[in-house]
Amino acid sequence: MLKVEEYKHQAATCVRCSYCKFPDLNYIKSSRFSRQCPIDTRYRFNLYSAHGLLHSALAELDGKLEFTPKLMDALWHCTLCGGCDIRCKRNLDVEVLQVIETLRCRCVEQGKGPMPEHKMLADNVKKSHNIYGADHKERLNWMPEDVKPAQKADILYFVGDPSSYRHPEIAQATARLLSQAGVPFMVLADEWSSGHELFATGQLELAREMADHNIKAIKDSGAKKVITSDAECYKTLKADYPKILEKSTEDMPYSVLHITEYVDQLMKDGKLKFRRRVPMKVTYHDPCNLGRLAEPWYHWEPKYEPPNIAVGKTWRRGYNGVYEPPRNILKGIRGIELIEMQRVWDNAWCCGYGGGVGTAFPDFALWTAGERAEEARTTGAEAIVSCCPNCKDILGQAAEAKKTGMKVYDITEIMLRAIR
Amino acid sequence: MSIPREAYQTLQSIVGTEWVSDDPAICEADRYCSLSSPSEEKRRPGCSIEPVSTEEVQAIVKVANRYKLPFVVTSTYYSAGTYCRKDDSILIDLKRMNKLEIDEENLYAIVEPGVVFSALQADLFKRGLCTFVPGCGGHASVVANTVNMGDAPLGWRYGLGYQRLLGVEWVLPDGEMLKMGSLSMSKDYFWGEGPGPDLRGLLRGCAGHQSRMGIITKIGVKVFPFVSEELEPEGWAFRSFIKLPPNRFKWYNIRFYSREDAINAMFELGRCEIALVVMTVPPIFRGVARTRGVGCGGFWEFWKDAGPKLNPKQMDLRVLLYGIGSDKRLEYEEKVLLDIVKEYGGSPREAPCRDETNFMAADAICANVVGGRFSSEVSYESINQAVRYSKVVDKITDEHRPPILQEYNSTDWVCPYELGYIAKMECLRMASVEDNYALQEWKNDCQDACAKGGAYALVPDNKVFGPIWGNYPEKEDKIRAAFDPNHVSAPG
Ligand SMILES: Cc1cc2nc3c(=O)[nH]c(=O)nc-3n(C[C@H](O)[C@H](O)[C@H](O)COP(=O)(O)OP(=O)(O)OC[C@H]3O[C@@H](n4cnc5c(N)ncnc54)[C@H](O)[C@@H]3O)c2cc1C
Repeated sequence: MLKVEEYKHQAATCVRCSYCKFPDLNYIKSSRFSRQCPIDTRYRFNLYSAHGLLHSALAELDGKLEFTPKLMDALWHCTLCGGCDIRCKRNLDVEVLQVIETLRCRCVEQGKGPMPEHKMLADNVKKSHNIYGADHKERLNWMPEDVKPAQKADILYFVGDPSSYRHPEIAQATARLLSQAGVPFMVLADEWSSGHELFATGQLELAREMADHNIKAIKDSGAKKVITSDAECYKTLKADYPKILEKSTEDMPYSVLHITEYVDQLMKDGKLKFRRRVPMKVTYHDPCNLGRLAEPWYHWEPKYEPPNIAVGKTWRRGYNGVYEPPRNILKGIRGIELIEMQRVWDNAWCCGYGGGVGTAFPDFALWTAGERAEEARTTGAEAIVSCCPNCKDILGQAAEAKKTGMKVYDITEIMLRAIR
Repeated sequence: MSIPREAYQTLQSIVGTEWVSDDPAICEADRYCSLSSPSEEKRRPGCSIEPVSTEEVQAIVKVANRYKLPFVVTSTYYSAGTYCRKDDSILIDLKRMNKLEIDEENLYAIVEPGVVFSALQADLFKRGLCTFVPGCGGHASVVANTVNMGDAPLGWRYGLGYQRLLGVEWVLPDGEMLKMGSLSMSKDYFWGEGPGPDLRGLLRGCAGHQSRMGIITKIGVKVFPFVSEELEPEGWAFRSFIKLPPNRFKWYNIRFYSREDAINAMFELGRCEIALVVMTVPPIFRGVARTRGVGCGGFWEFWKDAGPKLNPKQMDLRVLLYGIGSDKRLEYEEKVLLDIVKEYGGSPREAPCRDETNFMAADAICANVVGGRFSSEVSYESINQAVRYSKVVDKITDEHRPPILQEYNSTDWVCPYELGYIAKMECLRMASVEDNYALQEWKNDCQDACAKGGAYALVPDNKVFGPIWGNYPEKEDKIRAAFDPNHVSAPG
């Protein structure tokens, strides 16, 4: 959460040019898929956009505006996909996303937010350490019998709530993949929710509790590397935990890799080969949390020199995310033909689930995913591949609702088919 | 004060309850946009409304007239120099009107106000056609920009945007519909001329009518044949570009050792009718471009060192050659260019064959990063007068420094159009966010000087220019009164 002075400075620096609503203009391939911001594209009023929210942040801070029903609606419909943030950093260097996140926190502090569904997540986490309120004892029920995790290993697989409870096939594929690649790995005996949605919905106290617990557990495990197959967990471990602790990613007591980064490295080192053909035309969806939001976090205490020099600041501009490894993997599997969508890499259109939207506004999440499914359909691919359980979930629903006839896979499932 | 209940309910019945709102947050976010003067009071609209069709727009305007409610219209609201100056205004946002049709054979596109340049361009490229993105950015509305000025560096060859305006569908301030050009005779938008006097002049103008003459709901806009190759994008964020086919395009950066030589070379290029873009490159633009991605601090680190070393006599030109129709044409243009450069003692250097900011994107806003705020003084004149006026602005700027930041009298941006017939001169000046008013004061002084010097200012201050330019505001008011008897179209 930004401190008030910095929050104000950032919001005031926005000149409302509207660039935040578009992908990199040089990358626009058609009028049909020429927008970037889901809330802007769906709801159109300027309030439903980054510059609208930044202006509201200023007005709210100055006491000219309260959290009206529409402000709440716009604020909590935002998927925090970060498209606006990196677009602005092409031109203006405003910390757009941090202002929106801070506005959410202010809303929570004033007892107006988050949405009831988000509060329920928090209740569930308090009760059973996962957002679904499922039995904590069943967290590792997904583990296949044919896989025996190590008691001690350099690699720790951090599973996350969605793959532990809702999409066990992803956790299973990851575990089998590691095991078939001969990589000893362990899992935490007492993994708690990563807290991803708690961070996103401004419920920071509880989010911090999750961070403290998981960081300690990781440290105690003695693991050298944490691997995750969940883009949300990846971003949370890499950026949110250091952020809430006012540290930088490099100062954390662990390093985190997405499974695609790890496998890509194994392939490059000649330690893993995909021998089986997987004949399939696929298109790849970049999860926001693995792409533009997945950059390392750099802690910075605001310090300015005139005219507007942010002294000692390292910028996060969205291009240090994980974009190539999943593509390298797909291209490295015989039989796979990768056909790209129009909006890819840092210009990718969000799946719609993030920022707590999938939880509180499933219809809007589905609409957003529907836009992506339509875009995927135009590639002529048979399947959409992604790297995040919630992307898989909502894109799967959308592909069906839009009658695209496309299947949606997590990349771990494809890798497992190719290695077996 | 608020919009009368009955009027609001009627608006709801026109667009549906989802698309009109008087929620304070919705209205606050529509209070103003980027090009608004800091000293003017901007009112929060009484409601914001998002029509989707011409019929809805017409009905809204009729409600505004019936209840005498002022309205202000925006298309993408990037630079609405217009904002609500009166209480209880209806802010009509046309983003939802985004239909786009391309007539490949007859070389025009029909666009609604929500269509932005980059989107139109992407669809045109696929058909071997193109339009020109204005300097402000590809995310500006084609309609709003074309009925305003529409200047883009590619105007060197193809002229200013408003010259590409063809048939027009226009909801007048009283809600009546006017169809202009060929549209008035048939359903075709292909030609700007039609029976009776050509009323496009009421819309167009240096800075347009700024929403004071009703609402344009659809226009026909001329497009041009272009290369058929797919222009692939490359690069990241602030370093992205599209690749141009090298057999048809060539960029040259040319240094001249006196401003006179550069000016003469520009005139000569026009006389020989070559090139697609010809413009000066102010060193400060190069500084901004070179240091993109390292923030304000990175720029000043570079500029504090590079700025004082500038030779104010030098002037750099940037020229894009285009082999219209054939590779041979490119070869010819290159020979002519190099002859001219030689004649005026310039040093040419070929630049990479790609485009960052003319065809798809444009990044005027990025200049803000170096201070927090920038403003520019713009005039339209002949090339040599433009350069002369830039020296006047230099002098005025020195009187305002600090708080205006050091650009080291770096030469200004001279961007000629129509093969050098008219030139835009833009002097870019910077100040920190907190010094927003300083730029306004600087601009006021420049306008005075511009008026005295007889230059043609963009967005002229009526109080300064009115008496000099034949009291045009009074005449404008008379025309407006005839079209807008209830004085509801962006009054104030
Ligand atoms: C940094 C910066 C640089 C710029 N550089 C250039 C440049 O190089 N070249 C150039 O041509 N312009 C430039 N401009 C100004 C330019 O006119 C606008 O940026 C842009 O074209 C306006 O379009 P918009 O989509 O933002 O429209 P809006 O902001 O929505 O509207 C612009 C004006 O047109 C009126 N309007 C909008 N839609 C309609 C309609 N349908 N019917 C009637 N009136 C309407 C509005 O009321 C307003 O007065 C620049 C602006 C900025 C901020």
